[in-house]
This record gives sequence, structure tokens and C-alpha cells, in this order.
Amino acid sequence: MPSLLVVIFAIELAVQIINNFGAAAINSVLWRIYTSLPTQLSKDYAQQRKLQAEYLACRKELNGTSSQDQFAKWAKLRRKHDTLLEQLEKKKKSLEATKAGFDRNVTGVRWALTRGPQWFLPFWYAKEPMFWLPHGWFPYYVEWFLSFPRAPMGSVSIVAWQSACTGVLTLLADTVGAIVGLVVGSKQKQGVPVGAGGNGVGGRAGEKKTL
Amino acid sequence: MSSAIVDADALEPTLQSILDQRSLRWIFVGGKGGVGKTTTSCSLAIQLAKVRRSVLLISTDPAHNLSDAFSQKFGKEARLIDGFTNLSAMEIDPNGSIQDLLAGQGEDNPADIGGMGGMMQDLAFAVSAPMPIPGIDEAMSFAEVLKQVKSLSYETIIFDTAPTGHTLRFLQFPSVLEKALAKISQLSSQYGPLLNGFLGSNGTLPNGQNLNEMMEKLETLRETISEVNTQFKDENLTTFVCVCIPEFLSLYETERMIQELATYGIDTHTIVVNQLLFPKPGSDCEQCNARRRMQKKYLDQIEELYDEFNVVKMPLLVEEVRGKEKLEKFSEMLVKPYVPPS
Repeated sequence: MPSLLVVIFAIELAVQIINNFGAAAINSVLWRIYTSLPTQLSKDYAQQRKLQAEYLACRKELNGTSSQDQFAKWAKLRRKHDTLLEQLEKKKKSLEATKAGFDRNVTGVRWALTRGPQWFLPFWYAKEPMFWLPHGWFPYYVEWFLSFPRAPMGSVSIVAWQSACTGVLTLLADTVGAIVGLVVGSKQKQGVPVGAGGNGVGGRAGEKKTL
Repeated sequence: MSSAIVDADALEPTLQSILDQRSLRWIFVGGKGGVGKTTTSCSLAIQLAKVRRSVLLISTDPAHNLSDAFSQKFGKEARLIDGFTNLSAMEIDPNGSIQDLLAGQGEDNPADIGGMGGMMQDLAFAVSAPMPIPGIDEAMSFAEVLKQVKSLSYETIIFDTAPTGHTLRFLQFPSVLEKALAKISQLSSQYGPLLNGFLGSNGTLPNGQNLNEMMEKLETLRETISEVNTQFKDENLTTFVCVCIPEFLSLYETERMIQELATYGIDTHTIVVNQLLFPKPGSDCEQCNARRRMQKKYLDQIEELYDEFNVVKMPLLVEEVRGKEKLEKFSEMLVKPYVPPS
């Protein structure tokens, strides 16, 4: 068992990453990985795509056939089109159900791995000191605050450590986000002439104000 | 006989298969308006009457044509057609029969003044309101007719359906209908005693209707409808005769109808193609020849598409097919294929 300090930090890091990339995006990446594995599911998907292609071809042919001049051919195509569409819908429904189940499971696991310990560990190790503060360096009220809620006086409690981790990681994430935004923004600025658009918007805003 | 050898695998171009299938109880005749449904159903009835003990012809078309075809007035009661001993006809109005149902409800219960005050009326309103459960009116009227018909013992019953083509729409959702009615029955059996406690010993509703009696009626209706459904989906008991003319729209509607019938699980294996033109050879009628060519085109398409059907080809006559004699003569061609004069 690695140190509790590290575990807490790792959990907070995971939460931050999930928050920043978005749970849905992570789910979809996992789903893509899962479906690319050689399972029955990926076979189903391949079949679905084949069916789709067949349907589209049939549809194209149907649209290209005159119902007045070649009624028999048209009607046969129409029957094929209808059955294919029905199959496709059925298949789509079952695949969607599978995906919903997968999403539910992934979400459950994610909660069990992040939010669960995030609440459970501070509750379970509330009385355990994470590390001790050097004696006499901090005034009483700081020591009291850092040992909140139930850790021994003069130590840093798990809750305090957790919030410290969260704070640092949030700051870091914001910094990284800002830098990325800046870089991307400057690249876009080089591509698009801003002057005219800016003026236009400004002018229009001004007009509105005078109105 | 050479043609018989060539078309050895093709099905006979007559309705003989229907005449021979003794187990058939219900025969529907349907198609777009104006393609000769009534003429076909009358002719089929005449032919069937020759080989069956008793035949009933029912028109569910609001624009009743049976009276016209036989030049005799028919009503809601089955009546023998003049000149026949085992062929009767009746005309029912799918919309009217609900009113009859309600009226019957009133008569059954003398204590119930008016009889229209309660849930039956709500039900009727739900049925006739702009957003009804689709087809419930037809389902109810069919249920009602079939109850009547079952008590009379006809061997075969032919329906001349309305041209809307949705006569059998209710077969699409028997489960929905059954579920709804089952729910009502269940509720009534659960809360019936409770309600009766409120309502007093005779279970009379505030508007004068009897709760138990009404529930019994609904239950009977449900049973009848589910029985009708099972019967209509049995290919030994029921078949559908599609009537069309060799023109695009009619053909299009026929194809749609056949697909629809397949989804309901109703058997259909005969198509009657009406109003075929056979201009005399060497005829210089320009319109006739042009029309003949067009009809030929669609006939070929029909034969290609419906190779598993008995396709009956009926000529367009120079006179209206009305009256017993003309219908009888016309009906011959359902059994013996028409040979154009050469």
C-alpha cells in the first residue's frame, strides 16, 4: 500500500483530469477502444456498417429507378429497402442498448475509483496524521485548522491534505489551460484578419448604444 | 394448350383456388376507389354461392354499391338477393355501428334513461373524436358485425371493403387495444367492489349506468376483437383479394396494400386486374390502342412482380355490369379466363 499522501494526490489528479477532459469524452474513447477489440461486438459493428452501406446503395438504386417505367423492379427494390431499413433500425437499437450499458458500467467504475475514495478515505482516516508540522513554527489557530477535523493537534489532517492537493491541481490546470488557450488563440489570430471584424463589431455596438 | 405448357410454373389466372379452398370463412375484397371492387366481390359471391351452402356479402363501404349492383335495396339486416337461394347481402356503416352499439346499451338497461350519459359515451367520443385510437371504430364495428354474423350460420362471408384501404388497420395494434381493455377490466375487478360499496348494492353509477354490466360489455368486446384477430390471421380461414386496374397509381396502392397485409399477417394470393382493353385486331381506335399498350406495360410488370399470385385478368365491357344476369355472366370470367376475340 503506497503512502496515503500519494493515494490522495493520485485520486485528486484523476478527478482533475476527468473534469478537464470531460467524462463523456473519456467514455467515448474507452468505447472506441472496447469496440476495436476483436469481440462479438466489433463484429456486430462491422455488420452494421455493411448493412448501412447496402441500405445506402439500395436507396440510391431505388431513387434512380423510375416507378412508372419499371414498376416491378422499383417495387422489388422498395421491398428490399424496407426490410433493410427495418433490420438496420433493429440492429441500431440493440447496439445503442449495448453502448448505454457500457456507459453505465464505465461511469460506475469511475465513481468507485474516484468519488468513492474521495469521500471514503477522509472519513476512514480522519484521525490519522498525514505528516507532522515542525513544533512551534505555526500559531495555534493554524495548527488547529490544519488538523481539522479530528487529526491530532500539530499534524496535517487528511482533509487538509486533500484540499491542498485540489487547490494546487486546480491552479495547475488553470495555468495549463490558459497557456494552451493563449497559444491556440495567437495561432488563430495569425490566420484571421481581426481588424475589420473588430471594427465592425465595435461600430455596431456603438450604434446600438446611440439608439 | 401451348400456353399452359409455357406457363407450367405460373399460377392459374383464375379465382378457382378460392372456390376450392373450402375452409375459407372470411374473404375480403379491397383496392382503390373505382377499380371495380363491388363488381368483383359480387361476381365472386355469385361464383361462391354455386359451390357453398350459404354465402353472405357484406359491404362496409359508406357509399353502398351493393344495392346499385343488384338493383335491390339492402340494409343492416342480411337479406336474400332476388333470384338466389343461398346468397344474402347486407350493408353496414362502420361509423353507424358504434351508435347502434350505444343505442343497444340503452335498450338493454331500462333503468338507464338515455343510456348515453356515462363511460360508454366517453368511449364513443374517444372513438369519434379527431384523435381517436386509429381504427378502433372499425375494430368495434367489425366486432359488432361478427357477433351478428356468428349467430347466423353462413359458410363464407365476403367483405366488400371501403376504398380507404385502412379497413384492416386495427389488426396492426391488437395488442395495444387488448392491453388497454385488459387494464380497464383489471381496474374494474380491483376497484369494482370498492366502487360498489360507494354506489350501493345495485352498483348504479351517478348517471344511471350499471358499472358491472358495462365492464362485462367491455370484456365481451375485448374477447370478440381478439378472436377476430386470430381468425383473420389464419390463412385457412381468411384471404384478401386485391382488385386493381393496370395503371400506375392503382398498382402502387396495390403494392402498398400487399405489403401492409403482410405486416398484419393476413394471407393474400389473388389479384384481380380489371378494365382491361382488348381492341379488335385492325381496330383504328387510336385511344384504345394507346391505352392497350400502356395497360400491356403494367400487366407485364404485374406478372413479373407477383409471380406467386393468381392474377385474374378481366376485360372492360361495353356496358355497365349491373343486375343479376350481367353479373353472372361477368363472374364466369373469374373462373374461365377471358379469351379476347382474335
